[in-house]
Amino acid sequence: MKTKDQATRQIGRSIPRREAREKVSGRAEYIHHLRLPGMLYGKIVRSTLAHARLKSIDVSAAAAAPGVAGVITAADVRKIIPDPYYGPIFHDQPILALDKVRHVGESVAVVLAADPHLAEQAAQLVEVEYQELPAVYDEVEAMKAGSAIVHEVLRPAGMFPDFKDLAGRRNTNLHLDFKLRRGDVARAFANAEHVFEHTFHTRQIMHTPLEPIVTLAESNGSSVTLHTASQMVSVVRTEIARLLGWPENRVRVKTAFLGGGFGAKTYIKVEAIAVACALIARRPVKIALTMEEQFYTINKHANTLRLKSAVGRDGRISARECEVWWNGGAYADIGPRLTQKTGFTAAGPYDIDNVHIDSYAVYTNLPPAAGLRGFGVPTLTFAYESHTDMIARELGIDPLEFRRKNLLREGRAQATGTVMRDAATEAVLERLAQRMSWNAPFDRGSGSVRRGRGIAIGFKASISNTTSVAIVNVYADGSCTVYCNTVDMGQGSDTALAQIAAEALGIPVESVKVAHPDTDLTPYDMGTLGSRSTFHMGQAVKLAAEDARDKLLALATALGVPVETTPIADLFRKRYGMQAGNVVGVATFNPKSNQPDHATGLAENITPNWMVGGTGAEIEVDTETGHVRVTRLVNIADCGTAINPQIVESQLSGAAIMQYGCTMSEGIEFDAGQATNASLADYKIPGIRDIPAVFVNEIVAARQESGPYGAKGVGETGTFGVSAAITNAIHDAVGVRITRLPVTPEAVYRALRANSATPLEE
Amino acid sequence: MMSFEIAEPQTLSEALALLDPEDPSVRAIAGGTALMLMMKSGVFRPTRLVSLRKLADAHTRIDARANGELAIGALTPLAALEDAPMVRSRAPVIAETLRTLSNVRVRNVATVGGHLAHADPHMDLPPVLIALRARVAVASRRGTREVAVEDLFAGYYETVLARDELISALIVPAQGERRAAYFKCTTRAADDWPALGVAVAVDGAGSAIREARIVLSAATSKPARLRAAEAILGEGTADAVLARAAEAAAEEADVMADGHGSAAYKRQLVRVYVQRALRRALGAPGVNERAQR
Repeated sequence: MKTKDQATRQIGRSIPRREAREKVSGRAEYIHHLRLPGMLYGKIVRSTLAHARLKSIDVSAAAAAPGVAGVITAADVRKIIPDPYYGPIFHDQPILALDKVRHVGESVAVVLAADPHLAEQAAQLVEVEYQELPAVYDEVEAMKAGSAIVHEVLRPAGMFPDFKDLAGRRNTNLHLDFKLRRGDVARAFANAEHVFEHTFHTRQIMHTPLEPIVTLAESNGSSVTLHTASQMVSVVRTEIARLLGWPENRVRVKTAFLGGGFGAKTYIKVEAIAVACALIARRPVKIALTMEEQFYTINKHANTLRLKSAVGRDGRISARECEVWWNGGAYADIGPRLTQKTGFTAAGPYDIDNVHIDSYAVYTNLPPAAGLRGFGVPTLTFAYESHTDMIARELGIDPLEFRRKNLLREGRAQATGTVMRDAATEAVLERLAQRMSWNAPFDRGSGSVRRGRGIAIGFKASISNTTSVAIVNVYADGSCTVYCNTVDMGQGSDTALAQIAAEALGIPVESVKVAHPDTDLTPYDMGTLGSRSTFHMGQAVKLAAEDARDKLLALATALGVPVETTPIADLFRKRYGMQAGNVVGVATFNPKSNQPDHATGLAENITPNWMVGGTGAEIEVDTETGHVRVTRLVNIADCGTAINPQIVESQLSGAAIMQYGCTMSEGIEFDAGQATNASLADYKIPGIRDIPAVFVNEIVAARQESGPYGAKGVGETGTFGVSAAITNAIHDAVGVRITRLPVTPEAVYRALRANSATPLEE
Repeated sequence: MMSFEIAEPQTLSEALALLDPEDPSVRAIAGGTALMLMMKSGVFRPTRLVSLRKLADAHTRIDARANGELAIGALTPLAALEDAPMVRSRAPVIAETLRTLSNVRVRNVATVGGHLAHADPHMDLPPVLIALRARVAVASRRGTREVAVEDLFAGYYETVLARDELISALIVPAQGERRAAYFKCTTRAADDWPALGVAVAVDGAGSAIREARIVLSAATSKPARLRAAEAILGEGTADAVLARAAEAAAEEADVMADGHGSAAYKRQLVRVYVQRALRRALGAPGVNERAQR
């Protein structure tokens, strides 16, 4: 055992991910594979209309079909859950549709059968009669007078304290309007040398976890157990307990490895349906979505973003006005939180005295939207970094120089008024310039192949006022287990948290096990999302391990044995006369920050930390077809200390590849609310042959003083700058500006034709 | 999925006897890479599948005939075709095309016969085989007939085959001085169904072109020869001629709009890729590195 000053050097070691062998050999445990005796499969009957009153549901033919054990509708659910609405911000989403359906694919009924194929077959026999209502799909249209109204009345959930005043608001699709008002924007625009205004658009993106959303629920009548692929087991327990009106200790939530999450497996997804079905059928029920069903379950917001900047003769931005519409779909999910938390960074990592932000969460008749790897930051960065580049080009200032002139640096106040601390904006931008050889001559191509390059930098505030609790249990042989609710969904948290515990205890990392979440055993954590685990849970684990270490030191002192040389096992043997007992360390980490002021959006301490990411892209445009090939992609990040450098690098590259997909090919297409490309045959995520030939992912030397061993999160940082770096590079190559994602070859080709005054016919 | 019967005949004649000329719910299954997806999505609900698995030994040979033709058993997996030295030496364009056809897992099980009989216009080999003047041998209880690949497709997912006929072999004629090239153009990701495929085969040496075939797939409801463009190539291989041929191709191609692109955009792609394919077939430098996309 070590004393306080000895370093065992577990931090900064690229030890291989502990589950890697299990995964590549097919032995890793996933909920998707779980079967229980007597289990039924539930197949969800889904709405075919975007907005309609539910007139009747006839389940008789389905119930009579061979092998069907039951057909469940909202009327059945209400018998055990009288108020069957859930949601983290608004209690707006019914477990099964009640009075009306609000999007295509909404869950209307569930058919249960021991054979999933029979359940699927019978699901087609459920007859639903609708009375169609006018629908609204566009986020800007939805805010206009006369628009169809998705929810007649707003019902804030009360889980987060800052949304209470929205209760009872009627006849509006706008369900959160975040405002930030800093300085005097009107005067700055009136006095400005130059004013620039641009509008950008993004589309819905599917999270595409390769293990689709899945929950298996079982109950003995007095308690319920959920085996669920969830990023948030504690929150699932709280919400299921609330729905049932049961104490939390009668709800047990377990998970396993997740085949990806990316924000899709947060809050309640199919957990409530599975629990309701299991309680009604009195048998275990598994609801396993198909890849196609995920398109109708959760996605990333589509956005419209309007940015306007005032720039002085000196090239300094004096004011920026941002208006951001978030298309939340039919149910708010965590969208309003995102609208606010991400909204306050909409002006970008720039030092601007006068800032005016309006960020609107809007209901529409599309599937619900939530955070996707970056919680809206990649979308905002696409807009503000395109806008920033467009201004620099217009003014004839080098884009790097223009960013240097305006960059938000250490010690300066961000738009909310919070002073930047431990945010390496400057180091990230300068390292990016270096790795892009920005000052070196650049081959611009010839003939039908034109080359260009672009850069972009973005930042994200860590999720604030959240709590992580960890228990470190040291066994009598000197090995130990970390009990916590962080979910390893591929990001390597089992490995990183073991390294932190090992470092704090002064024992080899191999002696540390990280238990997987089981709310009967593992303590509370807000969730595995928002790049919060390394910082929040990392710190909780470190503190818990230190607590255990202090108790071991006290034990050694009480036993009168030398603290530094006595093996842990000997302490237990000496104390209990045999190999027996435990030493349990426990800690809670809840870094404080303020909520933004309701009227001004300002706050002295808006976040426990900032994550900074910059991206550079070199691209080739085929001017005859509009095809864009990214030949070099460079991602630079500030994640403080890298607990495990290899995992950090793979997090950056994975994030960048996801955002490359959001930039180049992904986007759910809707026709009257119906997704027309709802399969991986038509919705294309990047493949190995799309990955840039030169792909650099690195971090700058930095330290987050408030984080465990100087560390903070990194799971999302690689996404921030990718989209704008690519569109800026396209502009650099061929002079066309793409303001709408995805950047399809056709979009680029059409822009080229429009630019040469020979537009391509529609 | 409702239950269905699966038959595993040992011989071709047994297999043919199990097919039904009238019943569309009875179908042969070879690699199953396409049919299984159709069954999973509910587009196809079989009452009987006739598995051709046990016929594989007799129908996976690749033989060179005395007249220089290649005879390829219909159950030959695409990967075996890709790797066969005889194919690489006699019709290298086939091996090149296969390299980016779907992925190696699919190519290991998908068969030549299934690939053709499926008649999905996005398949890569049909335009190439049409350009190479290949034919298929078709068997039924009534005997055997040959059909040019060019005449095999009746429409979108439709062939001229009767429900009780099976493709038994693919015959690729000797290519002589014919030079061929295929471009698969994708617009959403590198690994995707093509937005269009363009295959060309040019017969003749140097600029003296005796005959040219230009075949378009994926953008059309079935693979289609672009005859107006082919005719223009009778005038030679000068850049201006190739450009006119490409223009004619864009004009005559009956392209459809879909998730890969609008019709106007696809016509532009036809214009570009017909020229690129011709240049590559004619051996012009600087086009090979742009093969994909």
